[in-house]
Amino acid sequence: MSKANPSASSKQLEAHKSSMRLPGGWQLPPFGVHQVLAVAIVAVALWSVSLVWLALQGGEQWVGSWQEQVKVHVYVDEQYKDNVNALLESLQDVDGVEDVRQVSLEEARDWMEKWLGGGGLDAGNFTKHLPTSLEVTLAEPKVDTVLDDIRDAAVSQSGEVNEDELQLVQAGDVLGTIRSLAWFATLVLALAMALIVSNTLRMILLARADEVHLMRLMGAKEWFVRLPFILEGLLLGGGAGFVAWLLVWPLIWFTSDWQMNLGIDLSGWSLFLPLLLGGALVGGLGAIIATANIVSPETES
Amino acid sequence: MSESKPIIHMSNLMMRYQTGKVALSGINMEIPQGSFVYLIGESGAGKSTLLKMMYGGLRPTSGQLEVQDMAIRGASERQIRELRQRTGIIFQGNRLLKPRTVFENVALPLRVQGWNAERLLPRVKKVLSFVGLEDRLWSYPETLSGGEQQRVAIARAMLSNPTLILADEPTGNLDDDTARHVLDLLMALNKLGTTVIMATHDLHLLTSHPGLVVQLHQGALVTGQKHEQS
Repeated sequence: MSKANPSASSKQLEAHKSSMRLPGGWQLPPFGVHQVLAVAIVAVALWSVSLVWLALQGGEQWVGSWQEQVKVHVYVDEQYKDNVNALLESLQDVDGVEDVRQVSLEEARDWMEKWLGGGGLDAGNFTKHLPTSLEVTLAEPKVDTVLDDIRDAAVSQSGEVNEDELQLVQAGDVLGTIRSLAWFATLVLALAMALIVSNTLRMILLARADEVHLMRLMGAKEWFVRLPFILEGLLLGGGAGFVAWLLVWPLIWFTSDWQMNLGIDLSGWSLFLPLLLGGALVGGLGAIIATANIVSPETES
Repeated sequence: MSESKPIIHMSNLMMRYQTGKVALSGINMEIPQGSFVYLIGESGAGKSTLLKMMYGGLRPTSGQLEVQDMAIRGASERQIRELRQRTGIIFQGNRLLKPRTVFENVALPLRVQGWNAERLLPRVKKVLSFVGLEDRLWSYPETLSGGEQQRVAIARAMLSNPTLILADEPTGNLDDDTARHVLDLLMALNKLGTTVIMATHDLHLLTSHPGLVVQLHQGALVTGQKHEQS
């Protein structure tokens, strides 16, 4: 004959307590294959969105690494120095130009010294051979034709525009367009992700329709019935965001040499909160869509 | 039917479905508190419809239905929720949740009122002890016999200590002995003061378990009489 062991019985009770899944309220539904698939799909979608933003981050750093604020310089050779004042006035008259100033010799010498890196060379000697330099600051918002007008004004007075700077200004414009497209792609993918989460939750809801119906018949409040599914949506989205964030790092590491050559430093940490919160947001949105109309028999008024 | 205060009052009660079918018509009846009522009648007579109306699952098309001092027809969703929290329901086919344990099934009526596991455990144990299934707390419904499953459904219905229990064919798929045992439990609950309204086809049970008999025929009330033990 064996005696009941109170300690074993108590341990068994604790095991049952820890594994019990009471429905409704703050209790999450069990995690199954549907949820794993949803996390994987949403994570890949979030990862692709994060790549777009990472590329944009790199592009902005590359443009910004040349100058804090892009300004256009116009050069006039010694033989045309009589044209400098006329050119300055012409440039000031260009629509979209905020300011034009002549760079002083002292400033040019300082810049030259910095550029030479203090290698014992005489910056003053080099400065003598530099052309007269006019610095043009562009007005915001930028006028579309301003770069062409600056070039025309320079050519008419035998000046020469720094074409590299013009290309940087144009690259900045392209980045602005890419940024708008990135937002558009993000919104479209966010909607798609919300629908994926919504679809997953609809399947779970269908599988648990009896439970939802019973809870309502026993007087459960609507928030009590819906909360587990909303929580699950937030968790699925947030989890997918976290996975997407982890997947960003290998890409950053694999491109580190390339980044160094271009003088950029991509930051994965800057994507952590956007991916986590963005993921949770689309997950929550999907859950709201899924639970917007849970109809049980006998609950329709 | 009795001089005690009615728990349910019906006056010219009518229910017509959207399809146009009239399920109940011109029902006038009072059910006293603490009574045991058999709702009998052929299939389609309106028994299940009447029970559903008593917990606010269906609203009367016309007439009055008052359950536990609440007029069902004009009741708000919140009032219906409160009524359901005071009512125990035993469904046709017991409707236990198969993927959940006996504990999780029985705990449901108080769980939806926000009770946590710590509070629920002793209460669930107590009601399972009442129906003789205290040792099946962590079993799954599919491992239980039909009679045991029905006893779990009774335990679930009585968990929140309701003043009214509505039972739709609780002995429907059970053999005679098991059906009697289930009815014994409902009678015991009734003796504790709970009003029990039970829709049934098993008329032979009336001979061994006395109660008020309400007969419906094609949605109309035929009789309301007291059936004494023979």
